[in-house]
Amino acid sequence: MEISIAAEKLFSLGALPITNAFLIGILVSALLMILGTRLAKNLSSVPKGLQNVVEVIFEALLDLVESVTQDKKQARQFFPLIATIFLFVLLSNWAGLLPGLGTVGLAHEHEGHATIIPFLRSTSADLNFTLALSLITVTTVQFTGIAALGAVRYAKKFLVSPFHKPYVIGTMVGVLELVSEIGKTISFTFRLFGNVFAGEVLLTVMLHLVPFLLPLPFLFLEVFVGFIQAVVFAMLTLVFLKMATVEMEH
Amino acid sequence: MEIFAKLGIDWKLLLAQAVNFAILFFVLKRYAYQPMLDFLEERSKRIDQGIKDAEAAQEKLASIQEEEKQVLKAAREEGRALLAKAEEDAKKRALAREAEMEAKAGSILEEARRQIEEEKSKMLGEARSEVAALVALSVEKVLRESVDKKKDEAVIRNRA
Repeated sequence: MEISIAAEKLFSLGALPITNAFLIGILVSALLMILGTRLAKNLSSVPKGLQNVVEVIFEALLDLVESVTQDKKQARQFFPLIATIFLFVLLSNWAGLLPGLGTVGLAHEHEGHATIIPFLRSTSADLNFTLALSLITVTTVQFTGIAALGAVRYAKKFLVSPFHKPYVIGTMVGVLELVSEIGKTISFTFRLFGNVFAGEVLLTVMLHLVPFLLPLPFLFLEVFVGFIQAVVFAMLTLVFLKMATVEMEH
Repeated sequence: MEIFAKLGIDWKLLLAQAVNFAILFFVLKRYAYQPMLDFLEERSKRIDQGIKDAEAAQEKLASIQEEEKQVLKAAREEGRALLAKAEEDAKKRALAREAEMEAKAGSILEEARRQIEEEKSKMLGEARSEVAALVALSVEKVLRESVDKKKDEAVIRNRA
């Protein structure tokens, strides 16, 4: 048993190291793209099978987005990012729970021990992915704010003149807001990574302690955690997006 | 930055993950979400329209039924009025006919009486003249016989 914070490298593609987490990420993306485009192409007005399930998810998600934005147009604008984050994070979280987690992989020699590099590792259990997603999210939030308010009015959220009503306090709050944007990135990154990685470690440890039955409750727990983390990431993104489009009240 | 290396952060992988997510995002947005949301919106619009149509149809049906009731009521009333009028007419006509018949019967009776009277007076006249003739005849006969008897007696006496 070996626990590594970094995702393990399986092989290299040119200069790009392909890790198990990245591989799962690509597979999940491919699955989502194929399913999504095929479903969207064969929509029938009387839903059947998978279309039913997807419709339920979409409508619930759209309702959620609308309830936060209070605006139908904005809801449609935000929906694709929120939905993609939710679906991708959810599936990649769950992909790490598939049987074979940490047990099936390439043979590997590590400090004299024979060990393996598992094929399966949740994409979310790799800081590269969570950091990339956080950066995308926070950047999108900034651009959405600028697009909605205009660059000057958006900048006024962070740069407050010390000569007006709340004086220096306003300026300090502005600086804090600016710092919190960076804080958002870091908290996004480590919340998702921490939860999913901890879950994987927990499951691996349990599996090595008692192979049968005992890991089962933890497996259910991790299914739940995977869902919750996907919801949390998507919801926070949504809330930040909405907050960026609303001007600060003075 | 050793901490990044320790955490397994590799800018190449970071970029690759970002690109992967971006591709996923744009593909899903273009080919899955948009058609899907359009479809859902379209359908909910259609369902709304359908419900509205159904409501309108129901309203129309109700108004038609009301109208039908009204028309039926009017027709029934008219029928009743017509019937009453026809009944009255028939009664009137029957009365008129009765009166006419009575009058005709009266006139026929009168005529009959008059004819009978006429016949009677005619018959009486005829009878009177006949009786007179008969009396004259019988008187004549009696007279002749008496005359003849005397003559006869005279004749007989003469002979004798």
